Amino acid sequence: MITLTHFLLVSAALFSIGLYAVLAKRNAIMILIGIEFIINAAILNLVAFGKYDKINYGGQVFALFAIVLAAASVAVGLAIILNLYRKHQTINPEQTTDLRD
Amino acid sequence: MGDFASITIGSLSIIIVMLPLLAFILQALLGKRAVSGNISLVAIVLSTMLSAFVVFPAIWQEKTVQEDMTWFTIGTQSFQIGILLNNLTALMQFIVCIIALPVHIYSKAYMKGDPGIHRYWMYLSLFCFAMLGLTISNNLLMMYIFWELVGFASYLLIGFWFTKDAAVQANKKAFIINRIGDLGFLLGIASIYSLFGTLNIERLFSEGGLIYTNLTNQGGLTTFAGICFFIGAMAKSAQFPLHVWLPDAMEGPTAVSSLIHAATMVAAGVFLLSTVFPLFNETVLLLIAIIGCITAFIAAFFALTQKDIKKILAFSTISQLGFMMVAIGVGAWDAAMFHLVTHAFFKCLLFLGAGAVIHEMAHLKAAEGLDIDPQDINQMGGLKKWMPKTFACMTIASLALAGFPLTSGFLSKDAILIYSFEWAMEQGSLYLIIPFTLILVSILTAFYIGRLIFKVFFGEFKVQVSTTNLHEANRVMLIPMIFLATCSLFIVFSFNPIAYQQAFIMLGFPVTHAAQEIAVLHVLLPIGLTMTSLIAWLIGWKWYVKQQYPLQGNNFLMSLSFHQGYFNESYQRLFVNNTLSISHGLFWFDRHIVDGIVNFMGTFIRGLGKLSDWIDRYIVDGFVNFIGNSTYYIGHLLRWIQNGRLQNYLGFAFTILLIGIIYLILT
Amino acid sequence: MELIIFYIFAFIVLTSAILVVSLKNTARSLFLFFVVLFAMAGLFIFAFADFIAITQILVYVGGVLILMIFAFMLSNKQLLEDLQNTSKKFLSLPNWQSLLVAIGFLVVMSYGIFEWQEHTPRWITENIHKGAVIGPSDNNIEELGIKFMTKYLLPFEVISLFLLAALIGAAHLSRKEDHS
Repeated sequence: MITLTHFLLVSAALFSIGLYAVLAKRNAIMILIGIEFIINAAILNLVAFGKYDKINYGGQVFALFAIVLAAASVAVGLAIILNLYRKHQTINPEQTTDLRD
Repeated sequence: MGDFASITIGSLSIIIVMLPLLAFILQALLGKRAVSGNISLVAIVLSTMLSAFVVFPAIWQEKTVQEDMTWFTIGTQSFQIGILLNNLTALMQFIVCIIALPVHIYSKAYMKGDPGIHRYWMYLSLFCFAMLGLTISNNLLMMYIFWELVGFASYLLIGFWFTKDAAVQANKKAFIINRIGDLGFLLGIASIYSLFGTLNIERLFSEGGLIYTNLTNQGGLTTFAGICFFIGAMAKSAQFPLHVWLPDAMEGPTAVSSLIHAATMVAAGVFLLSTVFPLFNETVLLLIAIIGCITAFIAAFFALTQKDIKKILAFSTISQLGFMMVAIGVGAWDAAMFHLVTHAFFKCLLFLGAGAVIHEMAHLKAAEGLDIDPQDINQMGGLKKWMPKTFACMTIASLALAGFPLTSGFLSKDAILIYSFEWAMEQGSLYLIIPFTLILVSILTAFYIGRLIFKVFFGEFKVQVSTTNLHEANRVMLIPMIFLATCSLFIVFSFNPIAYQQAFIMLGFPVTHAAQEIAVLHVLLPIGLTMTSLIAWLIGWKWYVKQQYPLQGNNFLMSLSFHQGYFNESYQRLFVNNTLSISHGLFWFDRHIVDGIVNFMGTFIRGLGKLSDWIDRYIVDGFVNFIGNSTYYIGHLLRWIQNGRLQNYLGFAFTILLIGIIYLILT
Repeated sequence: MELIIFYIFAFIVLTSAILVVSLKNTARSLFLFFVVLFAMAGLFIFAFADFIAITQILVYVGGVLILMIFAFMLSNKQLLEDLQNTSKKFLSLPNWQSLLVAIGFLVVMSYGIFEWQEHTPRWITENIHKGAVIGPSDNNIEELGIKFMTKYLLPFEVISLFLLAALIGAAHLSRKEDHS
C-alpha cells in the first residue's frame, strides 16, 4: 500500500535536493532549477494530501495553480538572469556582490 | 747644657742625613737643567764637614745620644722613628760621608758629557741619603726601610745605562737577590719583636740590654732570628751563595761601583751584623764564620783568571767581605769594623784608578776606531809610563789590599787573622781549617792584585796602534785618588804601624775576646804573610811581565775559575728557568682558564640575550600578533554576513531556521 | 506491485535530482531535469492526480524546460563558454555547508513525518471513514472543471492575470537596451 508517508518522504528529499541546489550551485540557471525542484516538491505534497479530499478537490486545484506560478517565476527569473548577465558579464552569483555594504 | 748639646748633635746628624735628600729633590725638580752636579756636591760637602768636625768628635768615645718619636700605632703596639748615635753608628756615618765626597768629585770628571748625567746626580744623592739614614737608625724597622731604599738606589745606579741589555739584566738580578736578603732581615725583625716586644737597638743590644737578660728562654727562635739576620747580610754583602749579583753589578758606572759596591752598601751587611751581634749564639757564629770562609776562598779563586779589570776588583770585594764575616764569626766584630773602614778606602781607590784607566782606554778606542773592550786587561800594558800618578795610587791601594806592612790594610787584616787563629786554637784543632784557609786566601789576594797591576801597568801595550794617545787622568780625578791613597796608609789609623790593638777604631769598640791571646802569632803571622806575598809577586812578575806563562790556558781549574764556578749557569738552570716555566704556566692558565671563564660568561650572557630576544620576538610579540590576527580572523569570518552574495545570505537564513526548528523539536 | 513501481519512480526522481545538482556540465543537468519532471508526473499518477500529471508534462516539460533549454542554447558564445566548465571532473564537489543544511532539513522533515504518522489530521481520518477519497475510477477532469468554475473561480482569474503580468514583465525586463 502506498501510504501518505511515502509521498511525503519523496517530497522531503526532493525539497532538500532543491535547497542544496539553491545554496551551493555557482550557476544562476542551476539556482533556478533548484527553485523548480522546491516547487515540484510542494506540488507533490499538495497532490498527496489532495487524494483524501474528494469533497473540495482543494489539493489538485492548488497544485495546478502552483504549476502556473512556477512557470511564471521561471520566465521572470530568466529575464532577471539575462539582465544580470548583461551587467556583470557572468552568471556566477558569487561574483555579483553589488548589494554588499 | 748637656741635654741641649745632645739635642743639637741629634739635630745635626739628622741634617747630615737630610742634606742629600734635599739635593735629590732639587735635582729631580730641576732635571736636565742641572747637569753639573754642584747641588749634590755641595750637599755632600756640607754633610761631610758636619760629620767630620761636629758629630763624629762629639760622639766618639762620648755619651750615646738617642732620640725617637712615635711614628704609628697598631692597636697597643707603637713603632718609632729615631736616631741613635754611638761609636758604631757615628763611625759608619762618617765613613759614608768621607768616601762619598771623593766619589762625587771624581764623578764630575768621569761622567762628563754623559746624556743622562742629571739622573746620575739624582740617584747618587738618593743613595747617600739612604745610606746615611741607615747608619743612624734607632730601631730595626727604620733600618730595614733604609736598607730597602739603599737596595733600590743601587738598582737604579746599576741600570743607569738602561739601554744596554746587560745592565738591565744585572740590575734585575741584583734587586731580586737583595730581595731574598730582605726577606731574611724581615723575618729576623719579626722574630726579635716576638721574642722581646721591641725593636729599639739601644734597648736590645747595648750593654744592659734585653738580649742579655732573656737569652736563655727560647734557643730555637733566637738561632732562627740570628740566621735570618745573617741571610739579610749575606745578600747585601754578597756572601756565598748569594754573591752572584756583585760581579754583574759592574755594568754600572765605575764611580758607582766604587762607592756602592766596594765601600758602603756592601758594608751595610757587616754593619748590621755588628749591630745585632749580641743576638748570635754559638751555632750562628760558626755558620757565619764558615760561610765567610768559603766566600773568601771561592771569590779569590775566581779573581785569579778574570780578564775584566772591574770583575777582578768585584771578586776582590767579595773575598774581603768574606774576611769581615769570618771576623764576626770568631767574635771579633771590632776587627771586622776596622777592616771595613780600611777596605772602604783602598777598594774605593782601586775602583777609581780602574775607572781612570778604563776612561783612557775608551778615549783611545773612540779616537782610533778600534774594536777592543776598554775593560780588558789583556789589551792593556805598560800604562805606567803614560799614567804614573794613577799607577802610584793604585800600587798603594794594592799593597793595602795585600796587607803589606806600613799600610792600613796590614793592620786590619792582621787583626782578623790573629783573632781567627786564637779562636780556632781555643775551639779545637778541626776549626783551624778556617784560619789556614784565610792565609791561603791572603796569598791568593796578593797574587791576583799583583797580576792586575803587572798586566795593566807593566810590560808592553798590547793594542796595535800607531800613536798611543794616552795621558794621565785629569786633576779632578786625581785629587780624590790621592786623598784616598793617603788614607790607605797606616798613619791615619794608628800611630803604631805594627800593633793593631792601638788603632783608634779598635779602641772604640768594647769587645771582649774570649780566646786567649797567643803572643807568638803576633810576630809569626805578619812576617809569614809578607814573605808569601813577596814570593807571589815574584811569580807574578815572571809570568805576566816577562811573559813566561807556563800553564795551559784551558785546563779545568782555570775554566772553572774564569766562569765564576758556573754559579750563574746553575742558578739559571735551577731557579730562573723553573720560575719562568711556572710563570708561563700561570700565564697560560690566566689566558685560557680565567679568561676562558670570563669569555664563557660573556658568551653565556650573549646566549641569554639571544634567547630573550627570541622570546621577545616570538612569544611576547607573537602573543600580541596572535591577538591581532585572531581579531582579524574573526572579522574575516564575520565578513561573510555582509558580502553581498545571495547564496551566503540564503545559507545563513536556512541554517538559523534549521537550528530554530531543531531547538523547537528538542524542547 | 504498485509499491515496487512507486519505488522505481521515486528512485528515478531522486537519482536524477541528485545528478542534476552534481553534474558539472550544465547542459547535461538540464536534460536530467527533464527526466525528473517526467518521473514526477509518474508519481502524480500514483496519487490519482492524472490531470495534474498531464498538466505537469505540458506546462513544465513542454514550457518551462524548453524555455530554459532555449535560453541556455541561444545565449551568446561567451555565456556558453562560461557555462561549459573546462574541468575534467564529472561530478562537482559538494559545498559542505549547504549539504549540511540540506541534510539537516531532510532530517528535520523526516522526523516530523514520522512523528506525524501517529497524529493523522482529523479531516483525513474522517474522509477515509466517510469514504471521500479520490479513487481510480473518478473522473478528475470533470470534477476539476466544475470546481474551477464554481468554487475556485476567483483564484483562477487572479492566476491568469498574474500570469499575464509576469509575462509582460519578463518581456519588458529582457528588452534590448538602446546604447547611444
